[in-house]
Amino acid sequence: MDVIFNIGMLHYLVLSLLLFMTGLLGVLISRNMLRTVMSVFLMTISVVINFLTFGCYCDRSLENANTMCVFILIIAVVQAIIALVILYKIYRANEYLDAEKIKDKEN
Amino acid sequence: MESDVVYFYTLFFMILGSAFGVIFAPKMYLALISLFGLICFSGFLYLGLNARYMAVFQFILCGIFLTLYILILLKKIERLNLKLKLVSPFKIIISSGLVFSFGVMYCLFFNEEFENSLYSIFNFVIEKSTDKINFAMHIFPLHIVILLVIVTAVILRIFLEQQTVVQHNEEQK
Repeated sequence: MDVIFNIGMLHYLVLSLLLFMTGLLGVLISRNMLRTVMSVFLMTISVVINFLTFGCYCDRSLENANTMCVFILIIAVVQAIIALVILYKIYRANEYLDAEKIKDKEN
Repeated sequence: MESDVVYFYTLFFMILGSAFGVIFAPKMYLALISLFGLICFSGFLYLGLNARYMAVFQFILCGIFLTLYILILLKKIERLNLKLKLVSPFKIIISSGLVFSFGVMYCLFFNEEFENSLYSIFNFVIEKSTDKINFAMHIFPLHIVILLVIVTAVILRIFLEQQTVVQHNEEQK
């Protein structure tokens, strides 16, 4: 019971792991490419939680972790925007965003 | 002490619930709302980790900017009510197995390696940097980066739209 009620680094890491697994599952099972982009973003948020946890609990190096996380978030948003722009173009060309249909069409 | 536990577990289930909402929401606009919720809840979690700047930064950059961008895109292509489509059940089972094995591998790695190496990553960073640099000095150039990102996104969008128009015209000819 002590492990459950004494909130520490392990709890945040478990949350981060579960979030990452959910994001990974979303990438693997979703047919809609917009949802895939969102799932990748979930994975990024889990990485940020991981970094902040280490930053908070390891020798108070939160400033380093903050700086890294800011960069990670900016890169994540950039890749999401670029992915969305590409999806928009795909939609204009095909009128749908279904990954399997697009793959079939290419074949 | 008890309030910390309640705060953490509330956010824990809220974040995981929102994450499942993003993947399994029956309509697209519900997935978008879940994403916005996830960003807000994870921001509250950052507050619990004493990372106020990150919470605000994430809320502005992702919660407002990215979510709004996706909303505008969905409205433009009229896919706000797009239904949930998943791969075949066989693929879902295999994917779940893969994800589960990833989780097990992560836990094993954590158990074996955590005390030896991972724990000292931030020590290494601190030991190597001899100068004390103000956090604001790191952050200031990032505002320029954000500005550049927005400008790049707009240019890319205009460029791709023009390409689409040219392609459409060629197809009509």
